[in-house]
Formats: sequence, C-alpha cells, structure tokens
Amino acid sequence: MKLDCKHIWRELSNYLEGDISEEVRRDVEAHVAQCRHCAALLDSTHNVLVLVADERRMEVPIGFNARLRERLEREMAASRPD
Amino acid sequence: MPAVAEAAAALKREKENRLIDGVLAGKHEDFHELIAPYRRSVYLTAYGILQVEADAEEAAQEAFLKAFRALRGFRHESQFSTWLFRIAVNEARMKLRKRREVPLETLFPDEDGEGSDYTPTMLRDWREIPSEALLREETRRLVQESIAALPEIYREVLTLRDMNGKNIAETSEILGISIGNTKVRLLRARLMLRDIFVERTQRKPTPQPPKGVSP
Repeated sequence: MKLDCKHIWRELSNYLEGDISEEVRRDVEAHVAQCRHCAALLDSTHNVLVLVADERRMEVPIGFNARLRERLEREMAASRPD
Repeated sequence: MPAVAEAAAALKREKENRLIDGVLAGKHEDFHELIAPYRRSVYLTAYGILQVEADAEEAAQEAFLKAFRALRGFRHESQFSTWLFRIAVNEARMKLRKRREVPLETLFPDEDGEGSDYTPTMLRDWREIPSEALLREETRRLVQESIAALPEIYREVLTLRDMNGKNIAETSEILGISIGNTKVRLLRARLMLRDIFVERTQRKPTPQPPKGVSP
C-alpha cells in the first residue's frame, strides 16, 4: 500500500520506536525514499530525540543525595516508636 | 525479554521485596538502599516536568518521603519503581500547580525583554566546564528550552519515555493512561518538540550570554 505524507506523520513515532509491522515499516521507508519533506521530518525528529536522551546524563545537583538522606533520616527518627 | 534479563529482573524484584519487608519491620535504613537505584532518575523526572533545579530537588525529596510513609500501602500490583515514579510525577505536578498560583510574570517575565532576570534552564550552567564546546552548550540550551515550552502532558510523557528511557507500558502505567493514549501523546510530544526546536534554532542563530546569574 502506498502511504501519503499524513500517514507517515502518524506512524513516525511508532517507526522511531521500532513499534511497527514489517509491512508498514517498508511502506514508510519507500515513501521516505521518495519524499524529501518526510525524510527531513523523520531525520530531524530522530536527532532531536537523541538530544533529549542526552539529557539523561545530566547530573543531580551537588549534595543532592546527602540532603535527601538527611531529610529521610529526620523523617525516620520522627516515625520511630521509641 | 531474554532469559538472562528476566532472571536479573526477578533477582532485582526479590531484593527490593526483601528491602521493603526490612523497612516495614523497622529496619528503616534499608530504605536508603531500596531507593538508591532511583534517586537520579526520580530527580530527572521531576526536573523534566518542572525545568527548575531547586523545584525538582524538592519534588524528588517529597516523593521519597511520601514513598517512605506510604510504603505499607504498596501492594506489589506494579513494580516498586512504577509506584515510586507515579508518586514522583504527582509531586512534580503539584509543584507545577503551586507555581502557577504565583503570578506568572514573576516566574516567567517577558521572554526576551530586558526585565527577564529569571532563566531556570541556565541556573546550573556554572557547573559546566567553560571550555566545553559552546555549540554543544547552545544546543543543550535550545533542547531544554524546547522541552520547557511543551504543554505539561507532553513534557511528562517525553520525560518518562525519551529522557528516562521508560518503556511504553511503564510510561502508561506511571501516567495512569492507556497504552494507546500514551502512544498518541508521545507522537504529538515528539512532533511538537521538533517543531519548537527547529523554530528556535532558526530564530536564535547566535549564542546568548546567560541572563540572571549575576548577583
């Protein structure tokens, strides 16, 4: 089946997830090979998501773990029956 | 899931259950070990939603405190991490609501105007090594600004799935929406993020000096 651009946009997210049937995947790729607009959309969305995933490497604030521990320990001390 | 990964997941669950039992039996210090693998990702989730470092830390702390207090109510119907992230997302949401009660302009003054002395995404830049490629820094700033510009429901799904790498099933469970809805939301979030990013990239070709970090 030939997909039009709107179909591609709808499938874009699933395509990037790999959450797509073999048939639709082939259709998407056939369309993208012909359509520069959709190819650019797919590529740029993929690239932006790579950048978002990069944010995962962001550090927690300095002292975060120590402050968390301290706060939890205050809570724990307060909730102790003794 | 491959057998090895399955066995590892089972082992992890077993360990978590043991720690949970320990905490409930009064060994409170087991709680630190229980949450250690999630401290960072809970913070990142709160940060993804709130986009302000101090708020994210507070929301993360509140989430862990709540989890501690509510641990007895954890029914093992979902994974511990799913339960924990649901609490974290709720904490972040609540903080967002509270923030909206503050007059918006004090938090977000006119975007490019001279009066804007509050730029949350820049606050942690002092920790960056200045010699690092400016281009990379500028790109990161644009990514963060673009995420911040997304509507809340899209920021949530994007933070969980694309930033924290949660799978679709867990993302939907944390957000309490169906898998189908999660996918639709994710599609819109991704397309919208891409549009915002492209638009901002074209609008701001040159790096801007950080605002609002002077004393």
